[in-house]
Amino acid sequence: MPEPLAKKVLLIGWDAADWKLINPLLDQGLMPTLDDFVNHGVMGNLATLRPILSPMLWNSIATGKRPDKHGILGFMEPDPQTGGVRPTTSTSRKVKAIWNILTQRGYKTHALGWFAGHPAEPINGISVSDLFPYAIGPLEKEWPLPLGAVHPESMRETFAELRMHPAEVTEAAILPWIPRAAEIDQEKDKSLQSFAKILAENCSIHNAATWILRHEPWDFMAVYYNGIDHFCHGFMHFHPPRMEGIPEEKFEIYKDVVNGAYRFHDMMLQTLLELAGPDVTVILVSDHGFHSDHLRPRGIPMEPAGPAVQHRQFGIVCMQGAHIKQDERIYGATLLDVMPTILTLFGLPVGEDMDGRVLVQAFEEPPTIARIPSWENEVGNCGMHPADLRMDPAAAQAVLQQFVALGYIQPPSEDQARAAEVAVREQQYNLARVYLDSRRYSEALPIFEELKKKWPDQPRFVQHLAQSYLALGRRSEAKALLEQLLTFGPMAPSSSRQEAEGEASAEVPAKQDSDVSLKEPKPRPWTDLLMGIIHFEEGDMEAALACLLKAEQSDPHMPDLHLRIGETYLRQKRTEDAARAFRRALDIDGDSAEAHLGLAVVRLRQRRNEEAAEQALLAVGLQHFLPLGHFHLGVSLARLGHLDRAVLAFETSVGMLPGLLAGHRWLAALYTQPGGDLEKAARHRSIYLQMRHQRQAKTRAA
Amino acid sequence: MITIVSGLPRSGTSLMMQMLAAGGIPILSDGERAADADNPRGYWEWERIKRLPQEPDCIDEAEGKALKVISQLLFALPAGRSYQIIFMERPLSEVVTSQAEMIRRRGTSGAALSAAALVAGLQAHLSQVNAWLQRRPDILLCRLEYHQVLRDPRCVSETVQRFLQGTLDLESMARQVDQSLYRCRTQTA
Repeated sequence: MPEPLAKKVLLIGWDAADWKLINPLLDQGLMPTLDDFVNHGVMGNLATLRPILSPMLWNSIATGKRPDKHGILGFMEPDPQTGGVRPTTSTSRKVKAIWNILTQRGYKTHALGWFAGHPAEPINGISVSDLFPYAIGPLEKEWPLPLGAVHPESMRETFAELRMHPAEVTEAAILPWIPRAAEIDQEKDKSLQSFAKILAENCSIHNAATWILRHEPWDFMAVYYNGIDHFCHGFMHFHPPRMEGIPEEKFEIYKDVVNGAYRFHDMMLQTLLELAGPDVTVILVSDHGFHSDHLRPRGIPMEPAGPAVQHRQFGIVCMQGAHIKQDERIYGATLLDVMPTILTLFGLPVGEDMDGRVLVQAFEEPPTIARIPSWENEVGNCGMHPADLRMDPAAAQAVLQQFVALGYIQPPSEDQARAAEVAVREQQYNLARVYLDSRRYSEALPIFEELKKKWPDQPRFVQHLAQSYLALGRRSEAKALLEQLLTFGPMAPSSSRQEAEGEASAEVPAKQDSDVSLKEPKPRPWTDLLMGIIHFEEGDMEAALACLLKAEQSDPHMPDLHLRIGETYLRQKRTEDAARAFRRALDIDGDSAEAHLGLAVVRLRQRRNEEAAEQALLAVGLQHFLPLGHFHLGVSLARLGHLDRAVLAFETSVGMLPGLLAGHRWLAALYTQPGGDLEKAARHRSIYLQMRHQRQAKTRAA
Repeated sequence: MITIVSGLPRSGTSLMMQMLAAGGIPILSDGERAADADNPRGYWEWERIKRLPQEPDCIDEAEGKALKVISQLLFALPAGRSYQIIFMERPLSEVVTSQAEMIRRRGTSGAALSAAALVAGLQAHLSQVNAWLQRRPDILLCRLEYHQVLRDPRCVSETVQRFLQGTLDLESMARQVDQSLYRCRTQTA
């Protein structure tokens, strides 16, 4: 077993933290603790997963597995006790989280506030659930801590006292954030109440974390703060520059809240680091970013979890501690990598069934990585709830429905039953999107088909079904679906406003004003986009371009659209037009790996190899799992004469995409060069010839 | 003390209620759910118990009596009372078949699951119930097999008498089991 590389590990979660907002604050010296932290450690983007929904993401961070494996599939789940819904619970997680594995190995482990953490798990340490900080009832009346919010039960009273009630947020706490708070008409504008609630909840979690660091022995602690995400959902539309439609007066009142949230978290970070002491490896992560600039959406889709449209695909990661590089950037990290990295820090093996990898580039020396098939097969008390408590909530809901049908149970109210039905539907939808995100289209397809069958008037189901058909090469079915959709006319989704808000409310503070309105998503741009893709794949570039440009007229802010336009121009050998389209995609989203990749291809075509290498490097830096990015990097490096680095890039590309014919051909050629490896050259040539033969046979058969 | 007959729907809870009544135990039942083809001798239910999750104190009306509380509702039993539970057990494949027949006759819609998935779901539910019972050592528990009741009602009646620590009319209890009726229904199941 490898030697541990860390004595203690502190994992801090800042939901929705984004370098786009942090960097200017660092530059202004307004986040001094984080500035010092990154100067003495590594920092980088942390690519998220889709759908970008926090309960799923935070559980992927804690397990190193995609949501289809860990089982947390949304904000809400059916409540088998009431027939209604409840926030997703820890009993629904099917696999071990990092605190379970460390418990199993005897480490003193604490976990606080993690999404879907209720009821608190019986780990070897203190567990504080995500329901712990919520104030139920007014301060002057009883303010009970929910049952199961703290483990061990003996700590219940101690931790109940550590909570802060929103009513305890005083003027002194508000004014640094909102100096003109006195001007707010609180009868009409409830934002201040929302502000106090978020602040109090995060103070409660922070109090619990600092209490543990002061009073308890520990080897590992994970603490999650929802503050940045909630402040952003509530106040990002007031963040400078002023968005169109935001009243000047309100803008002036609330414009500093988001930056204030970051500065507040910096102060909390300072306390955590001081209490944790010097011999600790600290990892700070967020699950996704948050649009803070011209990409801020003008409206929120009227569908469950609609506010997730404000989320950006890159969160943050920074690490500091022994054996960790200092003042360096790391590239290509995903949130699935956090768990394997922590295991490696403790000298523990990484499960082969985990979907992430160790962030090797963060270490001064490449760490020794041990592996086991799966932690799930390791026997011993891991501090999970007993297996008999971990029932699939959808199955439990079905059993409840059976008892109701038999007449033995009071039927849930219409609202409860509807809410449960929506929760199950959204879980299925999210699961299918997980399959899409991990390119398992054939697994996604039957779910989307079922969803469309049951809810034919929900365009999002039709859209994803069409995408799945397309990905599986079933173009005619995709086309028929889209043509059918066009007959819907202007959008008429069945989901009600109440339903949309109900699902969203688990994460997003209530929106008491109408500055950011719920609005109907428009089906037309993506319908045209998908039709454009179909024409593209059919080889009809003129028709493809016509559809794509039509989509651009409807919604010019879709980054994927410009990528497709760029690709179409590339196919038409209109390289300058293609470059313009990819630059347009980068104007919309500067962190688009695909746009950089497109530019790399353009520059390769133009024989501007240095620029091509630069763009390809940016692409794979932003998204490590990008086989074509590594391939084009290899081509540009080979042309520039950097043959060793080119080989590395090609090896990476074929490692990620073994069917990449051209990669094998390049490798065969490069390994044949003087000083190369003739055995490897022969192997790649053999693979290349074999695959080419298979493809030719397939083409002939077709 | 509150005596509870529990188990999955269609696991023999009505039969056991009928036996307790014959044995001389006071029953809390409102007769609202009339006898039908599924339970020709009645359900022995108390309609209000369905609201136990919303009105946990309603259980106090069962003090000194026996009532039927379906397994799903056990989780809602409030603390601070003394309970003794007779828990009926029957092979799940039979339970599922019998439930399907009853749902068909009622004209309602059950779980949208295959029989196998429903068996698995009920098994998981029972595991949860068992775990809950284990965490409530204050609750006295007697598990009875439905088929044992049919095979040897006299012996089962004696077991119930010992569990309830009273004097019951064992002959009358045993006579409640209509062998022909239950044999037929079991074979159907």
